[in-house]
Amino acid sequence: MKEINEQLSSLIDNENVESSSLDALIHDKEQQSTFSRYHLIGDVMRNEAAMNIDISELVMAEISQQPTVAIVTPITPAQPIKAESNVISFVKRFGQYAIAASVAGVVVMTSFITSQPAVENSGIEVLNTVPFGGGVSPVSLQASKEQTKQALQKRHERLEALLKDHQLQLQVQP
Amino acid sequence: MNRHLLLRLMVATTLLLFSQLGMAIEANSSNKVLLEKKEGSSPSAIEYLKNMQVAYSQKNYEVLYLSSLQQQLEPMQLIHGNVDGQEVSYFRYLNGVIRESLQYAGKISYFEQGKPAYTLQSRHNRSIFANIAQFDYEQGKQSYNYVILGKGRIAGKQAIAIRMISKDEYRYSYVIWCDLDSALPLRLDTLSQSNIVLEQIMVVSLNVSDEINPWLLKLTQNTLPEMVHIPESTTDNSSKWKVTWLPTGFSVVKDDQHKLMMHENTPVSYILLDDGITNVSIYISKKQLFLDEKQKLIRRGATVLYTEQRGEIEINVVGDIPVTTAKRLVESVDLVSDDN
Repeated sequence: MKEINEQLSSLIDNENVESSSLDALIHDKEQQSTFSRYHLIGDVMRNEAAMNIDISELVMAEISQQPTVAIVTPITPAQPIKAESNVISFVKRFGQYAIAASVAGVVVMTSFITSQPAVENSGIEVLNTVPFGGGVSPVSLQASKEQTKQALQKRHERLEALLKDHQLQLQVQP
Repeated sequence: MNRHLLLRLMVATTLLLFSQLGMAIEANSSNKVLLEKKEGSSPSAIEYLKNMQVAYSQKNYEVLYLSSLQQQLEPMQLIHGNVDGQEVSYFRYLNGVIRESLQYAGKISYFEQGKPAYTLQSRHNRSIFANIAQFDYEQGKQSYNYVILGKGRIAGKQAIAIRMISKDEYRYSYVIWCDLDSALPLRLDTLSQSNIVLEQIMVVSLNVSDEINPWLLKLTQNTLPEMVHIPESTTDNSSKWKVTWLPTGFSVVKDDQHKLMMHENTPVSYILLDDGITNVSIYISKKQLFLDEKQKLIRRGATVLYTEQRGEIEINVVGDIPVTTAKRLVESVDLVSDDN
Protein backbone atom coordinates (compact mmCIF):
# COMPACT_ATOMS: atom_id res chain seq x y z
CA MET A 1 0.00 0.00 0.00
CA LYS A 2 2.77 2.40 0.91
CA GLU A 3 4.52 1.86 -2.35
CA ILE A 4 1.33 2.48 -4.23
CA ASN A 5 0.83 5.77 -2.48
CA GLU A 6 4.32 6.84 -3.30
CA GLN A 7 3.72 5.94 -6.88
CA LEU A 8 0.61 7.92 -7.14
CA SER A 9 1.94 10.92 -5.38
CA SER A 10 5.14 10.91 -7.36
CA LEU A 11 3.11 10.87 -10.50
CA ILE A 12 1.07 13.74 -9.30
CA ASP A 13 3.92 15.70 -7.77
CA ASN A 14 5.91 15.75 -10.92
CA GLU A 15 3.25 17.67 -12.69
CA ASN A 16 2.74 21.19 -11.53
CA VAL A 17 -0.51 21.42 -13.46
CA GLU A 18 -2.17 19.20 -10.95
CA SER A 19 -2.03 21.57 -8.04
CA SER A 20 -3.95 24.22 -9.88
CA SER A 21 -6.54 21.83 -11.17
CA LEU A 22 -6.94 20.44 -7.68
CA ASP A 23 -7.51 23.95 -6.42
CA ALA A 24 -10.17 24.40 -9.02
CA LEU A 25 -11.78 21.19 -7.88
CA ILE A 26 -11.80 22.29 -4.28
CA HIS A 27 -13.48 25.57 -5.05
CA ASP A 28 -16.01 24.15 -7.44
CA LYS A 29 -19.07 23.24 -5.41
CA GLU A 30 -20.69 21.04 -7.99
CA GLN A 31 -17.67 18.94 -8.60
CA GLN A 32 -17.05 18.81 -4.94
CA SER A 33 -20.32 17.15 -4.16
CA THR A 34 -19.77 14.66 -6.91
CA PHE A 35 -16.18 13.88 -6.30
CA SER A 36 -15.77 14.52 -2.63
CA ARG A 37 -15.12 10.83 -2.13
CA TYR A 38 -12.20 11.03 -4.48
CA HIS A 39 -10.41 13.86 -2.80
CA LEU A 40 -6.95 13.24 -1.64
CA ILE A 41 -7.81 13.39 2.02
CA GLY A 42 -10.36 10.68 1.52
CA ASP A 43 -7.78 8.86 -0.47
CA VAL A 44 -5.35 8.79 2.38
CA MET A 45 -8.01 7.76 4.85
CA ARG A 46 -9.21 4.97 2.69
CA ASN A 47 -5.83 3.57 2.00
CA GLU A 48 -5.10 3.47 5.68
CA ALA A 49 -8.12 1.33 6.30
CA ALA A 50 -9.62 -1.28 4.03
CA MET A 51 -10.02 -0.01 0.53
CA ASN A 52 -13.75 -0.58 0.30
CA ILE A 53 -14.88 1.64 3.10
CA ASP A 54 -17.51 3.96 1.83
CA ILE A 55 -16.91 7.27 3.47
CA SER A 56 -19.16 9.31 1.26
CA GLU A 57 -22.09 8.67 3.53
CA LEU A 58 -20.17 10.07 6.45
CA VAL A 59 -19.19 13.05 4.38
CA MET A 60 -22.74 13.62 3.27
CA ALA A 61 -24.06 13.33 6.80
CA GLU A 62 -21.45 15.84 7.85
CA ILE A 63 -22.48 18.22 5.12
CA SER A 64 -26.17 18.01 5.84
CA GLN A 65 -25.50 18.77 9.49
CA GLN A 66 -23.75 21.96 8.67
CA PRO A 67 -26.13 24.12 6.70
CA THR A 68 -25.62 26.92 9.20
CA VAL A 69 -21.89 26.96 8.62
CA ALA A 70 -22.35 27.67 4.97
CA ILE A 71 -21.62 31.36 5.18
CA VAL A 72 -20.21 31.72 1.71
CA THR A 73 -23.10 30.74 -0.51
CA PRO A 74 -26.68 30.41 0.56
CA ILE A 75 -27.46 28.18 -2.45
CA THR A 76 -25.58 25.17 -1.18
CA PRO A 77 -27.75 23.70 1.60
CA ALA A 78 -30.50 22.48 -0.69
CA GLN A 79 -28.32 21.07 -3.39
CA PRO A 80 -26.10 18.56 -1.64
CA ILE A 81 -29.11 16.90 -0.05
CA LYS A 82 -30.82 16.44 -3.37
CA ALA A 83 -27.76 15.08 -5.04
CA GLU A 84 -27.18 12.79 -2.11
CA SER A 85 -29.45 9.92 -3.05
CA ASN A 86 -28.04 9.61 -6.53
CA VAL A 87 -24.43 9.90 -5.66
CA ILE A 88 -24.44 7.50 -2.80
CA SER A 89 -26.19 4.70 -4.56
CA PHE A 90 -23.58 4.95 -7.25
CA VAL A 91 -20.71 4.86 -4.82
CA LYS A 92 -22.14 1.96 -2.92
CA ARG A 93 -22.56 -0.04 -6.03
CA PHE A 94 -19.05 0.55 -7.17
CA GLY A 95 -17.44 0.32 -3.80
CA GLN A 96 -17.44 -3.43 -3.77
CA TYR A 97 -15.68 -3.83 -7.06
CA ALA A 98 -13.68 -0.69 -7.05
CA ILE A 99 -10.62 -2.43 -8.36
CA ALA A 100 -12.34 -4.33 -11.06
CA ALA A 101 -14.28 -1.31 -12.18
CA SER A 102 -11.17 0.66 -12.73
CA VAL A 103 -9.42 -2.30 -14.31
CA ALA A 104 -11.76 -2.04 -17.17
CA GLY A 105 -11.81 1.64 -16.67
CA VAL A 106 -15.33 2.24 -17.72
CA VAL A 107 -17.68 4.32 -15.73
CA VAL A 108 -21.25 3.97 -16.75
CA MET A 109 -23.80 6.47 -15.64
CA THR A 110 -27.42 6.05 -16.29
CA SER A 111 -30.45 8.09 -15.62
CA PHE A 112 -34.01 6.95 -15.47
CA ILE A 113 -35.94 9.18 -17.69
CA THR A 114 -39.55 8.28 -17.22
CA SER A 115 -39.50 6.29 -14.02
CA GLN A 116 -38.19 9.13 -11.95
CA PRO A 117 -39.19 12.75 -11.74
CA ALA A 118 -36.41 14.90 -13.04
CA VAL A 119 -33.96 15.92 -10.38
CA GLU A 120 -32.60 19.26 -11.48
CA ASN A 121 -29.18 18.64 -10.17
CA SER A 122 -28.54 15.11 -11.26
CA GLY A 123 -27.95 15.86 -14.90
CA ILE A 124 -24.65 17.46 -14.19
CA GLU A 125 -23.15 14.47 -12.50
CA VAL A 126 -24.24 12.28 -15.33
CA LEU A 127 -22.51 14.42 -17.88
CA ASN A 128 -19.37 14.77 -15.85
CA THR A 129 -18.48 11.12 -15.82
CA VAL A 130 -15.95 9.91 -18.27
CA PRO A 131 -14.73 6.53 -19.35
CA PHE A 132 -11.13 5.59 -18.78
CA GLY A 133 -8.85 3.83 -21.19
CA GLY A 134 -10.78 4.41 -24.33
CA GLY A 135 -13.83 3.07 -22.64
CA VAL A 136 -17.44 3.50 -23.24
CA SER A 137 -20.35 4.69 -21.25
CA PRO A 138 -23.70 3.82 -22.63
CA VAL A 139 -26.39 6.36 -22.91
CA SER A 140 -29.39 6.29 -20.73
CA LEU A 141 -32.19 3.93 -21.43
CA GLN A 142 -35.77 4.91 -21.75
CA ALA A 143 -37.89 3.07 -19.32
CA SER A 144 -40.99 1.38 -20.58
CA LYS A 145 -44.03 1.59 -18.36
CA GLU A 146 -44.27 -2.06 -17.41
CA GLN A 147 -40.76 -2.18 -16.14
CA THR A 148 -40.03 -1.45 -12.57
CA LYS A 149 -37.21 0.75 -11.56
CA GLN A 150 -35.37 -2.22 -10.09
CA ALA A 151 -35.60 -4.18 -13.28
CA LEU A 152 -34.17 -1.30 -15.19
CA GLN A 153 -31.46 -0.83 -12.65
CA LYS A 154 -30.57 -4.46 -13.09
CA ARG A 155 -30.38 -4.03 -16.80
CA HIS A 156 -28.03 -1.09 -16.38
CA GLU A 157 -25.80 -3.02 -14.07
CA ARG A 158 -25.68 -5.80 -16.56
CA LEU A 159 -24.73 -3.45 -19.39
CA GLU A 160 -22.03 -1.95 -17.25
CA ALA A 161 -20.67 -5.36 -16.47
CA LEU A 162 -20.59 -6.28 -20.13
CA LEU A 163 -18.88 -3.09 -21.20
CA LYS A 164 -16.30 -3.37 -18.48
CA ASP A 165 -15.63 -6.96 -19.27
CA HIS A 166 -15.23 -6.03 -22.93
CA GLN A 167 -12.61 -3.41 -22.06
CA LEU A 168 -10.82 -5.76 -19.73
CA GLN A 169 -10.74 -8.56 -22.29
CA LEU A 170 -9.25 -6.20 -24.85
CA GLN A 171 -6.49 -5.17 -22.51
CA VAL A 172 -5.52 -8.66 -21.41
CA GLN A 173 -6.14 -10.53 -24.64
CA PRO A 174 -3.32 -12.91 -25.60
CA MET B 1 -1.98 6.75 -74.89
CA ASN B 2 0.51 3.95 -74.85
CA ARG B 3 1.86 5.08 -71.53
CA HIS B 4 -1.61 4.99 -70.14
CA LEU B 5 -2.08 1.40 -71.10
CA LEU B 6 1.27 0.46 -69.65
CA LEU B 7 0.39 2.12 -66.36
CA ARG B 8 -2.91 0.33 -66.23
CA LEU B 9 -1.11 -2.94 -66.83
CA MET B 10 1.35 -2.24 -64.07
CA VAL B 11 -1.41 -1.45 -61.64
CA ALA B 12 -3.22 -4.63 -62.50
CA THR B 13 -0.10 -6.68 -61.90
CA THR B 14 0.59 -5.12 -58.53
CA LEU B 15 -2.99 -5.71 -57.56
CA LEU B 16 -2.74 -9.33 -58.48
CA LEU B 17 0.34 -9.65 -56.32
CA PHE B 18 -1.19 -8.06 -53.26
CA SER B 19 -4.84 -8.82 -53.31
CA GLN B 20 -6.17 -12.24 -52.62
CA LEU B 21 -9.64 -11.34 -53.60
CA GLY B 22 -11.49 -12.08 -56.82
CA MET B 23 -11.24 -10.06 -59.98
CA ALA B 24 -14.45 -8.24 -59.32
CA ILE B 25 -13.09 -6.31 -56.37
CA GLU B 26 -9.80 -5.66 -58.10
CA ALA B 27 -11.55 -4.08 -61.03
CA ASN B 28 -13.57 -2.05 -58.58
CA SER B 29 -10.59 -0.63 -56.77
CA SER B 30 -8.24 -0.19 -59.69
CA ASN B 31 -9.56 3.26 -60.45
CA LYS B 32 -8.58 4.57 -57.08
CA VAL B 33 -5.17 2.98 -57.14
CA LEU B 34 -4.63 4.51 -60.52
CA LEU B 35 -5.28 7.93 -59.08
CA GLU B 36 -2.65 7.40 -56.43
CA LYS B 37 -0.08 6.24 -58.93
CA LYS B 38 -0.68 9.30 -61.06
CA GLU B 39 0.61 11.52 -58.32
CA GLY B 40 4.01 10.38 -59.39
CA SER B 41 6.93 10.63 -57.03
CA SER B 42 5.06 11.41 -53.81
CA PRO B 43 4.27 8.45 -51.51
CA SER B 44 1.06 6.52 -51.96
CA ALA B 45 -1.65 6.41 -49.32
CA ILE B 46 -0.46 3.11 -47.95
CA GLU B 47 3.12 4.38 -47.76
CA TYR B 48 2.00 7.33 -45.71
CA LEU B 49 0.15 4.96 -43.40
CA LYS B 50 3.16 2.71 -43.01
CA ASN B 51 5.40 5.66 -42.23
CA MET B 52 2.88 6.71 -39.62
CA GLN B 53 3.06 3.29 -37.98
CA VAL B 54 6.84 3.40 -37.69
CA ALA B 55 6.79 6.94 -36.33
CA TYR B 56 4.10 6.17 -33.78
CA SER B 57 6.07 3.36 -32.20
CA GLN B 58 9.62 4.68 -32.56
CA LYS B 59 9.58 8.43 -32.00
CA ASN B 60 9.73 10.32 -28.76
CA TYR B 61 6.77 12.63 -28.60
CA GLU B 62 4.20 14.30 -26.46
CA VAL B 63 0.70 15.02 -27.64
CA LEU B 64 -2.27 16.81 -26.19
CA TYR B 65 -5.47 15.79 -27.83
CA LEU B 66 -9.22 15.96 -27.66
CA SER B 67 -11.58 13.13 -28.14
CA SER B 68 -15.06 14.08 -29.16
CA LEU B 69 -18.15 11.99 -29.40
CA GLN B 70 -21.77 12.86 -29.02
CA GLN B 71 -20.92 16.46 -28.29
CA GLN B 72 -18.66 15.61 -25.40
CA LEU B 73 -15.08 16.72 -25.42
CA GLU B 74 -12.40 15.02 -23.40
CA PRO B 75 -8.88 16.44 -23.25
CA MET B 76 -6.06 13.94 -22.79
CA GLN B 77 -2.31 13.71 -22.87
CA LEU B 78 0.05 11.07 -24.15
CA ILE B 79 3.80 10.99 -23.68
CA HIS B 80 5.63 8.36 -25.63
CA GLY B 81 9.25 7.32 -25.77
CA ASN B 82 11.66 4.49 -26.29
CA VAL B 83 14.00 3.09 -23.65
CA ASP B 84 16.48 0.47 -24.87
CA GLY B 85 14.21 -0.42 -27.75
CA GLN B 86 11.16 -0.77 -25.50
CA GLU B 87 8.19 1.51 -25.87
CA VAL B 88 7.00 3.52 -22.90
CA SER B 89 3.78 5.42 -22.92
CA TYR B 90 2.22 7.53 -20.26
CA PHE B 91 -1.37 8.58 -20.58
CA ARG B 92 -3.67 10.73 -18.55
CA TYR B 93 -6.98 12.51 -18.54
CA LEU B 94 -6.63 16.22 -18.12
CA ASN B 95 -10.06 16.98 -16.68
CA GLY B 96 -11.85 15.63 -13.66
CA VAL B 97 -10.60 12.84 -11.47
CA ILE B 98 -6.94 11.99 -11.93
CA ARG B 99 -6.63 8.91 -14.09
CA GLU B 100 -3.29 7.88 -15.46
CA SER B 101 -1.72 4.85 -16.98
CA LEU B 102 1.83 3.81 -17.71
CA GLN B 103 2.65 1.07 -20.15
CA TYR B 104 6.14 -0.36 -20.34
CA ALA B 105 7.79 -3.74 -20.88
CA GLY B 106 4.64 -5.82 -21.20
CA LYS B 107 2.92 -4.28 -18.22
CA ILE B 108 0.36 -1.58 -17.82
CA SER B 109 -0.22 0.22 -14.54
CA TYR B 110 -3.28 2.24 -13.69
CA PHE B 111 -3.41 5.08 -11.24
CA GLU B 112 -6.73 6.46 -10.28
CA GLN B 113 -7.46 8.99 -7.63
CA GLY B 114 -9.17 7.40 -4.66
CA LYS B 115 -8.50 3.86 -5.77
CA PRO B 116 -5.58 1.55 -5.22
CA ALA B 117 -3.17 1.52 -8.14
CA TYR B 118 -2.47 -1.78 -9.84
CA THR B 119 -0.62 -3.37 -12.71
CA LEU B 120 -1.80 -5.73 -15.40
CA GLN B 121 0.22 -7.99 -17.62
CA SER B 122 -0.52 -6.72 -21.11
CA ARG B 123 1.39 -6.58 -24.32
CA HIS B 124 -1.52 -4.84 -25.86
CA ASN B 125 -1.10 -1.20 -26.66
CA ARG B 126 -4.51 0.40 -26.56
CA SER B 127 -3.38 3.99 -26.47
CA ILE B 128 -4.98 6.68 -28.52
CA PHE B 129 -3.97 5.89 -32.11
CA ALA B 130 -2.81 2.36 -31.36
CA ASN B 131 -5.44 0.63 -33.46
CA ILE B 132 -4.49 2.42 -36.65
CA ALA B 133 -0.80 2.36 -35.77
CA GLN B 134 -0.76 -1.43 -35.46
CA PHE B 135 -3.02 -2.34 -38.33
CA ASP B 136 -1.67 -4.52 -41.09
CA TYR B 137 -2.49 -2.25 -44.02
CA GLU B 138 -1.36 -4.73 -46.68
CA GLN B 139 -3.71 -7.35 -45.37
CA GLY B 140 -6.31 -4.68 -44.79
CA LYS B 141 -6.58 -4.22 -48.55
CA GLN B 142 -9.14 -6.97 -48.59
CA SER B 143 -11.44 -4.86 -46.45
CA TYR B 144 -10.47 -1.27 -47.21
CA ASN B 145 -9.45 1.04 -50.02
CA TYR B 146 -6.89 3.71 -49.16
CA VAL B 147 -7.25 7.07 -50.81
CA ILE B 148 -5.39 10.33 -50.34
CA LEU B 149 -7.95 13.04 -49.72
CA GLY B 150 -5.69 16.06 -49.69
CA LYS B 151 -3.64 18.27 -47.45
CA GLY B 152 -4.62 20.46 -44.57
CA ARG B 153 -3.41 21.90 -41.32
CA ILE B 154 -3.88 20.26 -37.93
CA ALA B 155 -2.33 21.36 -34.64
CA GLY B 156 -0.27 23.90 -36.57
CA LYS B 157 1.31 21.24 -38.76
CA GLN B 158 0.96 20.44 -42.42
CA ALA B 159 -0.99 17.24 -42.58
CA ILE B 160 -2.16 14.80 -45.20
CA ALA B 161 -5.56 13.18 -45.01
CA ILE B 162 -5.95 9.56 -45.98
CA ARG B 163 -9.24 7.86 -46.14
CA MET B 164 -9.71 4.19 -45.38
CA ILE B 165 -12.92 3.27 -47.10
CA SER B 166 -14.62 0.09 -46.12
CA LYS B 167 -15.45 -2.18 -49.02
CA ASP B 168 -18.59 -3.43 -47.38
CA GLU B 169 -21.23 -2.34 -44.89
CA TYR B 170 -19.81 -4.36 -42.02
CA ARG B 171 -17.17 -1.97 -40.79
CA TYR B 172 -16.65 1.74 -40.30
CA SER B 173 -14.51 3.89 -42.54
CA TYR B 174 -11.78 6.16 -41.23
CA VAL B 175 -10.05 9.37 -42.17
CA ILE B 176 -6.50 9.52 -40.85
CA TRP B 177 -4.51 12.75 -40.84
CA CYS B 178 -0.74 12.40 -40.64
CA ASP B 179 1.85 15.07 -39.98
CA LEU B 180 3.86 15.53 -43.17
CA ASP B 181 6.96 16.29 -41.17
CA SER B 182 7.05 13.64 -38.42
CA ALA B 183 4.54 11.23 -40.04
CA LEU B 184 2.73 10.98 -36.69
CA PRO B 185 -1.05 10.69 -36.68
CA LEU B 186 -2.81 13.96 -35.89
CA ARG B 187 -6.45 13.22 -36.31
CA LEU B 188 -8.71 10.22 -36.67
CA ASP B 189 -12.33 10.35 -37.72
CA THR B 190 -14.51 7.28 -37.48
CA LEU B 191 -17.19 7.42 -40.14
CA SER B 192 -20.39 5.51 -40.47
CA GLN B 193 -21.61 4.03 -43.72
CA SER B 194 -23.50 7.23 -44.43
CA ASN B 195 -20.40 9.36 -43.78
CA ILE B 196 -21.44 10.70 -40.43
CA VAL B 197 -18.53 11.34 -38.06
CA LEU B 198 -19.18 9.07 -35.08
CA GLU B 199 -16.03 9.79 -33.16
CA GLN B 200 -13.16 12.11 -33.62
CA ILE B 201 -9.74 12.28 -32.04
CA MET B 202 -7.78 15.41 -32.73
CA VAL B 203 -4.31 16.38 -31.63
CA VAL B 204 -4.05 20.01 -30.56
CA SER B 205 -0.38 20.05 -29.66
CA LEU B 206 2.42 17.81 -30.85
CA ASN B 207 5.96 17.93 -29.63
CA VAL B 208 8.56 15.59 -31.11
CA SER B 209 12.00 15.32 -29.57
CA ASP B 210 15.17 13.37 -30.28
CA GLU B 211 15.64 12.42 -26.67
CA ILE B 212 13.13 10.69 -24.46
CA ASN B 213 11.34 12.90 -21.96
CA PRO B 214 13.53 12.62 -18.81
CA TRP B 215 10.50 12.39 -16.57
CA LEU B 216 9.17 9.46 -18.58
CA LEU B 217 12.54 7.78 -18.31
CA LYS B 218 12.40 8.22 -14.56
CA LEU B 219 8.98 6.61 -14.42
CA THR B 220 10.32 3.43 -15.96
CA GLN B 221 12.76 3.08 -13.09
CA ASN B 222 10.11 3.31 -10.41
CA THR B 223 8.66 0.20 -8.85
CA LEU B 224 5.28 -0.62 -10.26
CA PRO B 225 2.14 -1.05 -8.21
CA GLU B 226 0.94 -4.49 -7.26
CA MET B 227 0.24 -6.94 -10.05
CA VAL B 228 -3.33 -8.10 -10.57
CA HIS B 229 -3.79 -11.46 -12.21
CA ILE B 230 -6.78 -12.18 -14.33
CA PRO B 231 -7.71 -15.86 -14.18
CA GLU B 232 -6.47 -17.58 -17.32
CA SER B 233 -8.86 -19.43 -19.51
CA THR B 234 -7.89 -22.93 -20.61
CA THR B 235 -8.71 -24.63 -23.88
CA ASP B 236 -11.11 -27.16 -22.38
CA ASN B 237 -12.93 -24.13 -21.14
CA SER B 238 -13.93 -23.09 -24.61
CA SER B 239 -17.35 -21.70 -25.25
CA LYS B 240 -20.21 -23.98 -26.19
CA TRP B 241 -21.19 -21.45 -28.78
CA LYS B 242 -19.73 -20.44 -32.10
CA VAL B 243 -20.31 -17.84 -34.77
CA THR B 244 -21.15 -19.21 -38.18
CA TRP B 245 -20.50 -15.93 -39.95
CA LEU B 246 -17.64 -13.45 -39.74
CA PRO B 247 -17.15 -10.20 -41.63
CA THR B 248 -14.07 -10.19 -43.91
CA GLY B 249 -10.86 -9.71 -42.00
CA PHE B 250 -12.26 -10.74 -38.64
CA SER B 251 -11.11 -13.82 -36.78
CA VAL B 252 -11.91 -15.39 -33.43
CA VAL B 253 -9.06 -14.61 -31.06
CA LYS B 254 -10.55 -15.82 -27.83
CA ASP B 255 -13.24 -18.28 -26.95
CA ASP B 256 -13.95 -19.19 -23.36
CA GLN B 257 -16.35 -19.30 -20.48
CA HIS B 258 -15.73 -16.93 -17.68
CA LYS B 259 -17.50 -14.90 -15.08
CA LEU B 260 -18.12 -11.24 -15.50
CA MET B 261 -15.50 -9.74 -13.25
CA MET B 262 -17.72 -7.31 -11.51
CA HIS B 263 -21.27 -8.36 -11.82
CA GLU B 264 -22.25 -10.85 -9.17
CA ASN B 265 -20.06 -13.34 -10.99
CA THR B 266 -22.55 -14.14 -13.72
CA PRO B 267 -21.14 -16.91 -15.90
CA VAL B 268 -21.00 -16.16 -19.62
CA SER B 269 -19.86 -17.88 -22.77
CA TYR B 270 -17.51 -15.54 -24.49
CA ILE B 271 -16.15 -15.04 -28.00
CA LEU B 272 -13.72 -12.26 -28.91
CA LEU B 273 -13.30 -11.19 -32.52
CA ASP B 274 -10.50 -9.08 -33.94
CA ASP B 275 -9.85 -7.54 -37.33
CA GLY B 276 -6.70 -5.65 -36.41
CA ILE B 277 -8.43 -2.34 -36.05
CA THR B 278 -11.40 -3.12 -33.87
CA ASN B 279 -12.62 -5.83 -31.50
CA VAL B 280 -16.00 -7.34 -30.92
CA SER B 281 -17.09 -9.23 -27.82
CA ILE B 282 -19.95 -11.68 -27.93
CA TYR B 283 -21.54 -12.79 -24.67
CA ILE B 284 -24.00 -15.63 -24.40
CA SER B 285 -25.77 -16.08 -21.11
CA LYS B 286 -29.05 -16.89 -19.45
CA LYS B 287 -31.79 -14.38 -20.02
CA GLN B 288 -31.95 -11.90 -17.17
CA LEU B 289 -35.07 -9.93 -17.80
CA PHE B 290 -37.39 -9.23 -20.65
CA LEU B 291 -36.48 -6.29 -22.82
CA ASP B 292 -38.49 -4.02 -25.02
CA GLU B 293 -37.52 -3.85 -28.67
CA LYS B 294 -36.18 -0.33 -28.30
CA GLN B 295 -33.99 -1.29 -25.37
CA LYS B 296 -32.03 -3.81 -27.34
CA LEU B 297 -29.73 -1.39 -29.04
CA ILE B 298 -27.42 1.09 -27.36
CA ARG B 299 -25.01 3.26 -29.27
CA ARG B 300 -22.45 5.69 -28.12
CA GLY B 301 -20.15 7.18 -30.70
CA ALA B 302 -18.90 4.26 -32.72
CA THR B 303 -19.62 1.71 -30.01
CA VAL B 304 -22.64 -0.49 -30.27
CA LEU B 305 -24.16 -2.77 -27.65
CA TYR B 306 -26.79 -5.01 -29.14
CA THR B 307 -28.86 -7.56 -27.25
CA GLU B 308 -30.97 -10.34 -28.62
CA GLN B 309 -33.08 -12.70 -26.57
CA ARG B 310 -33.66 -16.15 -27.94
CA GLY B 311 -35.81 -18.37 -25.77
CA GLU B 312 -34.07 -18.63 -22.43
CA ILE B 313 -30.76 -17.24 -23.61
CA GLU B 314 -29.52 -13.76 -24.23
CA ILE B 315 -26.81 -12.78 -26.68
CA ASN B 316 -24.97 -9.49 -26.28
CA VAL B 317 -22.58 -8.02 -28.82
CA VAL B 318 -20.25 -5.17 -27.84
CA GLY B 319 -17.83 -3.40 -30.14
CA ASP B 320 -17.04 -0.57 -32.50
CA ILE B 321 -19.00 -1.93 -35.40
CA PRO B 322 -22.06 -0.87 -37.37
CA VAL B 323 -25.41 -2.13 -36.13
CA THR B 324 -25.80 -4.27 -39.26
CA THR B 325 -22.70 -6.23 -38.31
CA ALA B 326 -23.84 -6.67 -34.72
CA LYS B 327 -27.22 -7.95 -35.83
CA ARG B 328 -25.78 -10.33 -38.34
CA LEU B 329 -23.25 -11.65 -35.83
CA VAL B 330 -25.96 -12.31 -33.30
CA GLU B 331 -27.99 -14.18 -35.89
CA SER B 332 -25.03 -16.36 -36.67
CA VAL B 333 -24.45 -17.48 -33.09
CA ASP B 334 -25.07 -21.19 -32.83
CA LEU B 335 -24.39 -24.07 -30.47
CA VAL B 336 -21.22 -26.03 -31.11
CA SER B 337 -22.36 -29.48 -32.19
CA ASP B 338 -20.84 -32.36 -30.26
CA ASP B 339 -19.86 -34.55 -33.18
CA ASN B 340 -16.24 -34.99 -32.25
